[in-house]
Amino acid sequence: MRITVDHGLCDGLGQCTLVAPEVFALNDDERLEVAPDPAPELTQKVTAAARACPVRAITVEGA
Amino acid sequence: MVGAGLAGVRAGEALRAQGFSGKLTLVSDEPEPPYDRPPLTKQVVTGTLTEADIRLPGTAELDARWVRGVAAVGLDRERRRVRLADGTELPYDGLVLATGARARPWPGEVPADGVLTVRGLADVRRLRSALAGGAREVAVVGAGFVGVELASSLAALGVRVTLVEPFGLPLRVLGGSVPGLVAKAARRAGVQLLTGTGVRGFHAEGEQVRGVELADGSVLPARLVVVAIGMVPATEWLQGSGLALPSGRVHCDKRLFARTPDPSGRGDPRIVVAGDVARCDAVRSADGPVPLEHWSNAAAQGELAGRNLLAGPDTAQPYAHVPSFWISAFGLRIRSVGLPGTGDRVAVEAGDPATDAVLEAHYRESRLVGAVSVNQGQLLAAYARRLHQAPEEAFLD
Repeated sequence: MRITVDHGLCDGLGQCTLVAPEVFALNDDERLEVAPDPAPELTQKVTAAARACPVRAITVEGA
Repeated sequence: MVGAGLAGVRAGEALRAQGFSGKLTLVSDEPEPPYDRPPLTKQVVTGTLTEADIRLPGTAELDARWVRGVAAVGLDRERRRVRLADGTELPYDGLVLATGARARPWPGEVPADGVLTVRGLADVRRLRSALAGGAREVAVVGAGFVGVELASSLAALGVRVTLVEPFGLPLRVLGGSVPGLVAKAARRAGVQLLTGTGVRGFHAEGEQVRGVELADGSVLPARLVVVAIGMVPATEWLQGSGLALPSGRVHCDKRLFARTPDPSGRGDPRIVVAGDVARCDAVRSADGPVPLEHWSNAAAQGELAGRNLLAGPDTAQPYAHVPSFWISAFGLRIRSVGLPGTGDRVAVEAGDPATDAVLEAHYRESRLVGAVSVNQGQLLAAYARRLHQAPEEAFLD
């Protein structure tokens, strides 16, 4: 599973961090950070997190 | 799907993703292809996003029939037909109700020119054309989500904005210190904020609005007035359908099936409900079901509605979404999880309201019911997890 975040689109709304906190987190500047190499069993959560992004900044490949 | 906003489109996507290969029809009373609403009051007003930028993606892949610019006017559940304004009838095996809401109109006389509400693209076009026509003095009546975002966007455009809120501070539903922070930030941004100020009506020259008459009899000059006093669920067309419509919303059970007055509480197994129009039994405070009018709810509910409709009531999943929303205005980035407005105690758990960076948790009888952050969004995921893991402590029944 390969996760790409378009930081030009990402507005730090944090909706993905509510759906898949194992993978997505905001730092103290409310900038999004993504955990490297998420476990395959998180695939469903990660794709749900991508769908929960209102600005569609998250792309998931190989899910 | 009746209603082709985010909830309706997500329902369609879920149906297809679950393997539904039958006919899908999406009905919308708006002429435009589906679009996202959150940018309307922000980037579309300021001009940093165009109409094309906010279209919902993936609608071509739905392989659906689109009925646009035609409202649904009636539902016959016995014959399983939706009646449309053009006189046609659509038969259905399954129905998704996602008609959303309309802006609440001003409850009195309004001059024909220069008074707007903002809910859809057509409204924002009118607003932009009034600004392009030289309106530099705008009054916004109502400091809820729409009013506050519009006031912020208009101030950023250099427009002189007066924000009038009859009932107190802006965004008062958030509780705690946040409404006060918003008031301060609005004034800092150059907005004239009148709180606790009632509005009697409008002054006009001919049909053109010239001002807002306030409760004390004074007149606030304005060439353009935006009335932002909430929304009305779009359910008139369901009168007589036999569906339960408490406070005008479609009442649905925890699995999103539309409820009928049937005392057994069983929903209609062919009708699911999603988005702003829904009053869902799975989203509740200690006082009862709470309707949600946010993007994340429309997205999650739409998706589950599509899945559950196909699965049927016996294998359908309950709605277990932790409510969340965001609003950015006057440089404040406000985020929320749960149902903060329903608590009886607010605690500052990080930061300091005096610094515009704060996290406040909301409790009801010492149980967490929600949290609001200002410029501290990184702290919210932990609260969402607590709300999700202990649903009996909050809004999920």
